[in-house]
Amino acid sequence: MTAPSPLAALLRAQVVMGRRWVASMRSESRLKVVFVAASAAVVWAGVFLFAYGLLELLERFGRDLLGNVGTVSAVRLTDLVLQRLLSAFALTVLVLLLLSNALAAFAALYRSREVAFLLQTPIPISTLFLSRFVEVVTFSSWALGFLGAPALLAYGMQRGVPWGFYLALPVFFVPFVVIPAAGGSIAAMALVRLLGGIRRGPLLLGALTLGGLLLALFRARLALPDLSQAETLRTILDVLGRTRTPWLPSSWLADGLFAAAGGRLGEAIFYLLLLVANAALLAWLATATAEALFFRGWSARTDPSGLGRAARAAGVGGGRSALETMLGPLPEPARSLVIKDLRLFWRDPAQWSQFVIFFGLMALYVANMRHRGSELAEGWRSWITILNTSATMLILATLTTRFVFPLVSLEGRRFWILGLAPLTRRFLVAQKFWLAVAATSTLTIGLALLSGLRLRLAPGELAFSLFAIVATTVALCGLSVGLGALYPNLVEESPSRIVSGLGGTLNFILSFLLVAAIAAAQAFMAQWRRLHPDDGPMVMLGAAGFILALTALATWLPLRAGVRNLESLEL
Amino acid sequence: MSAIQTIGLTKRYGATLAVDRLDLAVPAGELFCFLGPNGAGKTTTIKMLVGLARPTEGVASIGGFDVQRQPLEAKRLLGYIPDMPHLYDKLTGREMLRLVAGLYRMPAAAAAELIPQQLELFEIAHVADRPIEGYSHGMRQKLSFAACFLHQPSVVVIDEPWVGLDPQSIRRIRDDLRRRAREGLTVLLSTHSLALAEQLADRVGILHRGRMLAVGTLDEIRGHAGGGASLEDVFLVLTSSEDDPAAPPLTRENP
Repeated sequence: MTAPSPLAALLRAQVVMGRRWVASMRSESRLKVVFVAASAAVVWAGVFLFAYGLLELLERFGRDLLGNVGTVSAVRLTDLVLQRLLSAFALTVLVLLLLSNALAAFAALYRSREVAFLLQTPIPISTLFLSRFVEVVTFSSWALGFLGAPALLAYGMQRGVPWGFYLALPVFFVPFVVIPAAGGSIAAMALVRLLGGIRRGPLLLGALTLGGLLLALFRARLALPDLSQAETLRTILDVLGRTRTPWLPSSWLADGLFAAAGGRLGEAIFYLLLLVANAALLAWLATATAEALFFRGWSARTDPSGLGRAARAAGVGGGRSALETMLGPLPEPARSLVIKDLRLFWRDPAQWSQFVIFFGLMALYVANMRHRGSELAEGWRSWITILNTSATMLILATLTTRFVFPLVSLEGRRFWILGLAPLTRRFLVAQKFWLAVAATSTLTIGLALLSGLRLRLAPGELAFSLFAIVATTVALCGLSVGLGALYPNLVEESPSRIVSGLGGTLNFILSFLLVAAIAAAQAFMAQWRRLHPDDGPMVMLGAAGFILALTALATWLPLRAGVRNLESLEL
Repeated sequence: MSAIQTIGLTKRYGATLAVDRLDLAVPAGELFCFLGPNGAGKTTTIKMLVGLARPTEGVASIGGFDVQRQPLEAKRLLGYIPDMPHLYDKLTGREMLRLVAGLYRMPAAAAAELIPQQLELFEIAHVADRPIEGYSHGMRQKLSFAACFLHQPSVVVIDEPWVGLDPQSIRRIRDDLRRRAREGLTVLLSTHSLALAEQLADRVGILHRGRMLAVGTLDEIRGHAGGGASLEDVFLVLTSSEDDPAAPPLTRENP
């Protein structure tokens, strides 16, 4: 009997660990598991219903527009819009997957403790890389599968496509997610090898400049002309069409799925083979890159002289740093704890790079806001303000879930240092809460102010919008720090993995519900004021009171539960 | 008043009894050594003493302060060195000591004076400005010692102190511990090394299956076995007779 290959053995071990993780749910609180599972089902059903409704709307829109021409043309028009929408969506997903895979590959290849163990075993680097690569693909792409499936199922059911379309979905999905995973892995290995010694400041500046240039390019290419023009539809189709190009995997996916939906088997197989061939080539290139660059990059990161260079690149020095001077007025031990948290964040590429991406998304949102405040009717302006605040709050909810929720868990096995110090666990939680509030409110207040000014909001509306943003920031930070302390994971080192646990999922769902409740209060206020203008101040006070009460509850309850849990935590 | 005291200290993990009604008193200035085989309950006892685990029953106190009821007062007096020093890898050694100084609210001037001293004393000044992730196990252990002694504790608890240290460092730290004990520092040290206990301890306690089998000076412990028995003999016989009640008596093993 032949021995299994090392790769098979490694993958089997990963499957076993995955099963254990699923089995560990049994030890979680049943209420928490049921709540998260029910919320996931609601999200899945929501995506399905939303996509189905959107398709119906598009079809009606096509019929209304071309009613006098005939149903066939209306269907073709709807298909054209959908194909272009799918192309644009697939391109966005491709870019996001490329970024997230680069970060996941960095974590899996350079930060995982298992790698040190694997490197001293007699397995080739290519085997080591492939075993980690499977993990990277799975970790980065499961959410796309989870959220993309209901949308595409809705498409199939609404259009009554042949059954081959449903079979094509997973077959197209696998090569499509392998492409950005391979690209991201190559980028991560090349960056670690080539940029390891460059100082972080210029590196970040260079990345931001590059990001700005790309943004300008996208804006120039995808800029939407004035929609008041008569040829609105043609304009939208034209702009969406610019995301399609025969050179991009996103277009192959969109065209292949549409061919499968239309029963054009030959065309579907052509696009599938195109995806598979490119995925295989990129996976081979990534493996070759690993053989050429991985070990040199890994050893440079871990040997003391390499660490010295990396430390200098991160601005590590012996003297009193600007950060220490800046935080001088803070009393001890809060000052030392804040300095420690900020340093650990700044020195972890997996943390600050993701933060830059989040911040970039928020900046992109504000940059794309059109200043047409004066052209909009009063009612529309209120609704746009609410949508604007809600969008900012939703991004903030993602930000707090990703960066604030893991704050307690990231103390990890070092918790004994804090546990031993003469400070209460309540103090620790409070320090993390106020640090999170200070860091996030600086961002959100700035963005809300900027977007409010761009929309030319009235002073009262701007003030209320700012109030809602500050209240939500406090509530989201309270929720995230509190739940982070209630469900700490002191074993896992990777913040992304900490967040993807049940506690992190629960945190995101509750954050989403909180944002929805605050947005609903704002919407209620706006509508009431529109219908009963005389009640304006009273309704505004009522809405403010509701938001304040909600903030107080969402802050206090989780923080109290978190403190209690940490107080009873044994290390 | 004892610097370290436990009364009926008990810890259960479900059905497993890890520490069983432990009574212990270590006076100020004593160097007390905990001995015991793997799983004897040494680390669990230490964690209860330093406030990282809660006793199921009983009391642990440091300098007269109940670790559970007056944790902050107890912790101000206490220093701890774990067997596996998990530290903040992205900080440098010097930054780690500054963090510790801040956590213990040390005045800035005192911290500025003591941090370089500790770095020199434990021979890690040359790597003080490098990230800890590049430290060897021994360097981490030395940094743990430096962090532990930085705030000048009056009671120090050390779990397996020599892990990763070279012979010269072991000698230097051993001498330093002796000197500090003479100056009034109380040390509770847990180890597997019987030789270390023989060289260093004022008194020894042998722990097995959560129970204290014997406590006393080395001579008193050896006296259990009659003249001429080594600490190793006593240890092996005590712990094996606990495992096997039918084992021959101690004196027969050491005629």
